[in-house]
Order: sequence, then structure tokens, then C-alpha cells
Amino acid sequence: MRRFLAIILCKLMRVVGKMLGRGSSLPGQFALKVCPDVLGRVKLPPYVIAVTGSNGKTSTVEMIAAILKAAGKNVVYNAEGSNQIEGVTTLILSQCDLRGQVRGDVLLLESDERYARHTFHWFHPTHFVITNLYRDQLTRNGHPQWVYDAILPAIHPSTTLVLNADDPLVACFAHQGNPVKWFGLEAWPGATKEHHGMYHDGAFCPACGAPMEYELYHYNHIGHYHCTQCGHHRPHPDFAVTGLDLEAGQLVLDGDTPIQLAFRSIYNVYNILAAWSACRMIGVDKHTAAGVINNYILKNGRMVRFTLGHHKGTLLTSKHENSVAYDTNLRYIRDLGTPCSVLVVVDSISRKYFTGETSWLWDIDFDLLSAPHVQRVVLSGRYVHDLALRFECSSVPQDKLVLSASIPQAVEFLEGSGDEDLYVVTCFSDRDKVLDRVELEDK
Amino acid sequence: MKLQFVHLCPQRMSLYGEYANLVMLQRMAQELGHAVEIVAGEAPDLSKAHLIYMGCGTEQAQKFALEVLRPQVDGLKGALDRGAVVLFTGNAMEVLGQSITDTQGKVWEGLGLTEFTTIETRQRTPHDVIANTPPGYSPVVGFMNKCSLTAGVSTPMFESLEMGFGNDCQRGPEGYLSGNLMATHLTGPVLVKNPALAHEVLRRVLTCAGAEVPQTLPVLPHQQEAYDVTLRELRSKGENAG
Repeated sequence: MRRFLAIILCKLMRVVGKMLGRGSSLPGQFALKVCPDVLGRVKLPPYVIAVTGSNGKTSTVEMIAAILKAAGKNVVYNAEGSNQIEGVTTLILSQCDLRGQVRGDVLLLESDERYARHTFHWFHPTHFVITNLYRDQLTRNGHPQWVYDAILPAIHPSTTLVLNADDPLVACFAHQGNPVKWFGLEAWPGATKEHHGMYHDGAFCPACGAPMEYELYHYNHIGHYHCTQCGHHRPHPDFAVTGLDLEAGQLVLDGDTPIQLAFRSIYNVYNILAAWSACRMIGVDKHTAAGVINNYILKNGRMVRFTLGHHKGTLLTSKHENSVAYDTNLRYIRDLGTPCSVLVVVDSISRKYFTGETSWLWDIDFDLLSAPHVQRVVLSGRYVHDLALRFECSSVPQDKLVLSASIPQAVEFLEGSGDEDLYVVTCFSDRDKVLDRVELEDK
Repeated sequence: MKLQFVHLCPQRMSLYGEYANLVMLQRMAQELGHAVEIVAGEAPDLSKAHLIYMGCGTEQAQKFALEVLRPQVDGLKGALDRGAVVLFTGNAMEVLGQSITDTQGKVWEGLGLTEFTTIETRQRTPHDVIANTPPGYSPVVGFMNKCSLTAGVSTPMFESLEMGFGNDCQRGPEGYLSGNLMATHLTGPVLVKNPALAHEVLRRVLTCAGAEVPQTLPVLPHQQEAYDVTLRELRSKGENAG
């Protein structure tokens, strides 16, 4: 009876919430009050795929959903990205009938890495994709190893783990004894022998603490590694990008499936690979999967094209408090080679909570913007002085810097000067403060 | 004059951009006309250092750092005896004490340079911080990302906090200060964010080196403004900061 009431309540609140434009967490929150174990009382589809990790969750989930739909599967997933237990409860209950049967072939969940253990207390995924673990939102996450420890209790012994072989910390999840499938990127021309970045979280083995050695780095601490002491090493991947030409925007999956990249970022490569791996594991054929991800343009708005004055602009959504996300976008700008200016905005560090913490700026490799084709770097937002101080200690020539605490004034300045390409690097918490003042390409 | 800064365990123990503390002191010293050599490593020679610094790491990294430093205790004591500054921030502070008890109950013997003891907790309490300072000195702002309680500190660096969790209680005393042994659980580039605190460290470093200590010490462009904005933001919005 309580299950029935929880389902009814959730469905009703969801309908009303949608009409009022409210978020998707509240109905689940109330349903859990009525029936705390409701998630253990519903009948789930045969496949439950969860995706967690520091970066790439939303994009990977979106691509998995698109592939599965193309393969004719009925997919239930949290497109809104409400990835804590309340949002997941809303999703599941609003998609099940009154007897508690979830309609669909696959339940696909983006899961917050710190709260996965709560979500998967009452049920568990058949497949658990873990993309990577970086320094991300350390003001609430502590550090990557702390997050690793928080994910561990969410892993049920029967769940098949789908792990990034190239991340030494993620690879440690295999030590739990679960069935594991690995995905990884093989050697490619952009891989380096030397580590790049302001810090090296792969310098020491996450299993035993001894120094690690890398045959190659793809980016930051992601690469081909082995511990000098305990034997922890990059496993041979079951699914792999076997060829990659980022400049040409081409990759090859599992030796025989070429893919054209709509967005030439190493991140995109890993997201595609993770989605490919999960879908192949549940029986989607290569042709169908490749047909979807070929030239796939993400719909989650991480990359937005716009016009401002005479500038063609692109917003590359980064995440504040996530230096790897910043580095990836800065590297993308560096590798373009065409004349451009860059606007970096740090105004609200988070959209969910308050903090004045800006340590993470020192983990970002802003030297990437010292490339000659970067003509101007405009810094803006409440924390413009923190940014300026960070750039003061970078190799970016100071005469290229323009400072404006006011975002409208920074945008106005750019609008009135120059016609070079413009890249905006900022977070979800701040991006609308720019996008509200430009002409979007796809409204 | 040539100054030498030693950065201990720079890779294991720089979890929140702590390396920037030395960058900032180096820039300030250079502004005064001094050359600065930064020696970084797990077991570097401490005998010529004017400043010995270690930042924050994971709980696992901290234990490795502790074991790496154990053979260097005499070197650290010797450095303090000749007037060098030993500054440990974040959970590096904990290794200076008598012991660290981890969440499994294992007791790790500390370096024993001070009297305090630390117990790690399963709960993490990350939060913004405003530390009170004596009249005439600017409050210290920053962030703390710790999962421990430190007891038995008789001479804290900060007598109380306006915001945040101290050594073992809310708004309580924080850090440790005795002679030139300086420690705070504040994480990250605390000297970048707080020019006044950086100056306090620099004065001691210059004294150790026998260099002139000017009345006015340099502030980098934007450093004071960045501090002012953070203090203002913390005071106006930080009630819910944890």
C-alpha cells in the first residue's frame, strides 16, 4: 500500500512540478518519506546501467541513451541529470505502472559519485560505468581517493564494472572482485612521454603508494601506467580507441569502426568510448552504435555557438573547481591555431552552494593560453582579481590581459572590438551571465 | 642575497594548489632583490634552508610523507635551532605532533616536534574560514578540507575563528605556532590569499637569512583586492558555508 501511495504521489507531484517548471528532486523526496524502501519494491528492467565519475557522466549517458534508442530499446533515463537518490526515485516512480513495474528495456542512470551508495542501497546496476576520478569540487568531495572510498559501498558484488583502464585510481575498483570490462585509448600521435599539467595525481600508485611509471600520457594522469612495486598496471582494454587523429577529428573503435568527431576533444573521445563499451556489452551491434555516435553533437549544451559583434563565439562549458575540465578546454583552444580571444569568467564558484575557495585556479594550466594565436585574454567576474593573480604567475604575456569585474562590461568590450574567434571558458554557474548577452546560433 | 626554500614531498603533498605558497614567497622575495632557490623533494638536504614547507595531501599520502620525513627529524630540529622557518599547512600539520590515529584505529607515531595528537574522523568537514588575528592584523581567510581533530595545542596560530572549525571545535583555536614552527590546517595557497600572513612568514625567513627586513613588504598586483573580495564575500554570504 505504501508503495502504491508513493508511486501515485510521485506521479502527481511530477505532473504539477512540470507545469510549474520545478526541478525533479522534490517528488522523489516526498515518495521516499511515504515509503523509504520504495526503490527496493519496484520491478526494474533487465538492464540497469549506471554512469558515475568526475567528468563525462552527462555526455556519456546522453550518448548511451541515443544509441539504445536507435537500437530500438525503450530507455528510461534521467535526461535532466538529477543524479542523487531523490531525482532517481522521481525518475523510476514516474516511469513505472501502479503495480511497480518500470516500463522500459533499460534503466539508465547518471549517478552522483558521492551519493551512489544511497541510490544503490535498494537496488543495484547490472552495469556500472566509471569514467574517471579527478580533482573535482574538492570543497565538497575532499579529494579523488575520498570519492573512490565513497563509491566502493555502492558496488554490489554481482554488478559488472565498466572501467576506464587508463585511470589508475578507477582501475583499483577491479580489486573488489567484480566482473570487469575495460575501455581505453591506445597510443596515438597526441600522447606524450612526459607529464603535462600543474600537478600529477598519477605520480604515485593509488594501491600501494610507490612511484608509478608511464609509457605514455593521454592527458593529466590518464595514460598507460604501471606501478614500480605492486604490479598495479593499465589492464588491456576490452573496448578500445585503436586509432585517433584529433586534428582530423577521426577515431577508430575496436580496430574496424571509424568515427568522425563533431567535437575534437580528448574528453569527447572517452565519452564516446564509454558509451560504445556499455552499449556493445548489452548487445547493440557496431553498425547501429557507430551510426549514432558518428558526428554526434551533444544536446546537453556543454558547447554553445554564438555571435557577438564581429566575433564568432563558442562557449566551452568547464566546471569551476575542476582543473582537468579547464585544462581540456584550454588545450582545445591552444591546438586550434587560429587567431582568437578567450574570455574566462569566475563569478559564482558553484550554483549549488556558496564558497569563496579559489585554490583550484592554481591547478589549472593557464600557460596553455600563452600560444601566439591567442590574441587577448579577458578575465571577468567577482573573482577577477584571483584570476589576475593566477595569470600574473603564468607565462601568458601580461599585455594580452584585459580585466573587468563586470561581466556585462567584459562582453560589451569584446562586442565593440575585434573580429577574431572568441572562446568563453566558464562554468554552468556563470555561463548564462554571458549567453544572455550574445546571439545564440541555435535558439 | 640568496634564499633557499625547501618544498617537502611536493607531489604527494600539494593537493589543493599548495605549491603556489612558495611561488608567492619567491615572487615577494625577488621583488626585494633576493634570489630564491626552491629545492623540492622527498628527502632533500635541510641544512641550508631558510624555509621548509609542506602542504596538504590525501590521508594515505600524509602517512607516506610521515614515514619519508621520520629520518629527517633531526634535520628539522636543527633547522629550527638555527632560525629557519618550518611551515606545514593542511594535514601536514598533523605529522608534527605526537601521533595520528587513523579511522581503522591504527596509531601512527608523529615526528614529535610538538605535543599535540590527532584523531582522524570518518566525517569530512570542508568549509570556508575566517581566522581572527590580534588587533591591527588582517583576519586570515581561506579554506579547510579536513577529516580530523587535533587536541593538546597549547600555542595555536589563531586564538579563535570567526568562521570555520578549529583544531578540535567549531570556531575554536586553530593551528600551532611556537618560535618559527608554524602550522595551520588551512589548505591551499593560504599565503597567496593572505598577503599579511605571507609577510609574517617572509619576515622570519629574511631574519633567518640575516637579510634586511624592510618596514613595507611587497604585495603582488591584485593580491590585496583578491583578499578583500574573499573577506567581503565570506562575511556577506558565508553563514551557510559549513
